[in-house]
Amino acid sequence: MTARSLAECIQEHAVRDPSAPALAWRERYISYGELTAMARTEAAAYADSAVFVRAEKAPRTIARILGCLLRRRAALLAPDDQSAPALGDLVTELAAPETAGIAFMLTTSGSTGKPKVVPLPAAAVDRFTDWAIATFQIGPQTSVLNYAPLNFDLCLLDVWATLKAGGCVVLVDPQHATQPEYVARLINTHRVDVVQSVPMLYTLLNDAGCHGNSSVRHVMFTGDVMPGRVLTALPRMFDNARFYNIYGCTETNDSFMYELDGTESGPVPIGSPLPGVLALIADDHGDLTSGASHGELWVSTPFQANGYLRGGERDDRFVRHDGRIFFRSGDRVTRRADGIFALDGRIDFQVKVRGVRVNPQEIEAVMAAHPAVAEVAVVAVPDDLAGHRLLATVRRYSGAELTGLSLREHCAMRLSRPAIPSVVVVADEPLPRTATGKIDRQLLISRGRSES
Amino acid sequence: MSPERQVTEYIVHQFQPGVTADELDADYDLLANGIIDSLGLLRLVDWLDRTFDIAVGEADLAPSDFRTVGTICKFIKERSR
Repeated sequence: MTARSLAECIQEHAVRDPSAPALAWRERYISYGELTAMARTEAAAYADSAVFVRAEKAPRTIARILGCLLRRRAALLAPDDQSAPALGDLVTELAAPETAGIAFMLTTSGSTGKPKVVPLPAAAVDRFTDWAIATFQIGPQTSVLNYAPLNFDLCLLDVWATLKAGGCVVLVDPQHATQPEYVARLINTHRVDVVQSVPMLYTLLNDAGCHGNSSVRHVMFTGDVMPGRVLTALPRMFDNARFYNIYGCTETNDSFMYELDGTESGPVPIGSPLPGVLALIADDHGDLTSGASHGELWVSTPFQANGYLRGGERDDRFVRHDGRIFFRSGDRVTRRADGIFALDGRIDFQVKVRGVRVNPQEIEAVMAAHPAVAEVAVVAVPDDLAGHRLLATVRRYSGAELTGLSLREHCAMRLSRPAIPSVVVVADEPLPRTATGKIDRQLLISRGRSES
Repeated sequence: MSPERQVTEYIVHQFQPGVTADELDADYDLLANGIIDSLGLLRLVDWLDRTFDIAVGEADLAPSDFRTVGTICKFIKERSR
């Protein structure tokens, strides 16, 4: 069955029921009629085949993206921080064939100034949004909470599947996103049916005692490990809902899902591949297996990109196998005898900070490039709320005037906001070493733990 | 101690250990340079509330008020009861 076009479906809603609410933002609603009118106004100015959209949370941002969909332009969604200008330059360089058939260009949350761009074909987005609408019963009367920033892949469900179905997207104002009472009030005022978020939101709601939230039917968490105490509290937090752990990467979109049965208390498996998703495991010998095993997860999904923008030959994450393109996820998984998959960790050093994937090694390289830095180590300290916090320990050259503050400014020009370490310690003493002469990262992590 | 000094010492102590209060200028951008993130903002507001007896309603909490030590002090001045 061919998937329905996202842009056409939204236009149809605007024609059939122009006064129906599309977005709830601050104290007002924006109707489908208003949203599509805004989108057409924005689109009138689009000259290039790709359009740079800074993902400030606002109806106008959604209108700009919708304008791209309507006029078949590729929308490059950039984080709303200082690292964005480099991406703005990219848009003007892109030639039309590079973006043909592309709806969204998302960036991987790579920590360095040059993130990888993930071009998602319109057809892939059409298939994904159809899956989401059917699975979570999203329709014209449905309200869906949008907690994630508008450049996150989560928005393909929260925002774009909802608009395709004619529902209402309830936008969380980022200024209040860490105030659980505000989010709970939004949920209850707008009778929100579907909530998807990284675990942080559920931790905040639970710790503030925001329970009940009875309008919610489906609760999805994704992007990080759910703390055990929050997991067991979910049925009190949402007393009328079903719960799902969703696994996916920006490159492939959602790939696995596990519905909780209420008995889970420890780590939740990622479950089974979604319909149409193929999953392989590359074991430690590099052999691809399909039985019970451990190794790196490779996935091929109907919702995926087929390579990074301008990935070229260095792009070794997308591999052709058996006539399909697989994405090497970088995640270590175990496939149990019953076919259920569990996530074991990363095969590299990547960690998540507030739901965003960062690579401490890349951040070290950026900091080491500062002329006054003699040596530096960046470690990820586990944190209940943020997932991880980054701790940078730096030795400056003797006589250098470097401080943590000036080094932060160096980082802010080159790194996305979540990749700037939350603690930067600059000293004249050498970094601690192990008996074998390597930087003692475990010691740095335990220092970081005791300080929080 | 002046409110400016109090705020500076609190921020340095809470968010940037290893830096002295004298090093943190009143116009240093605390948000863009990642010293205060969205969760840190909550802690800061809570502290302002307790230390300066300011009622910060959630509706009027704008991150731009907390961008620098200078803007925080302006905020305290305007909101003190």
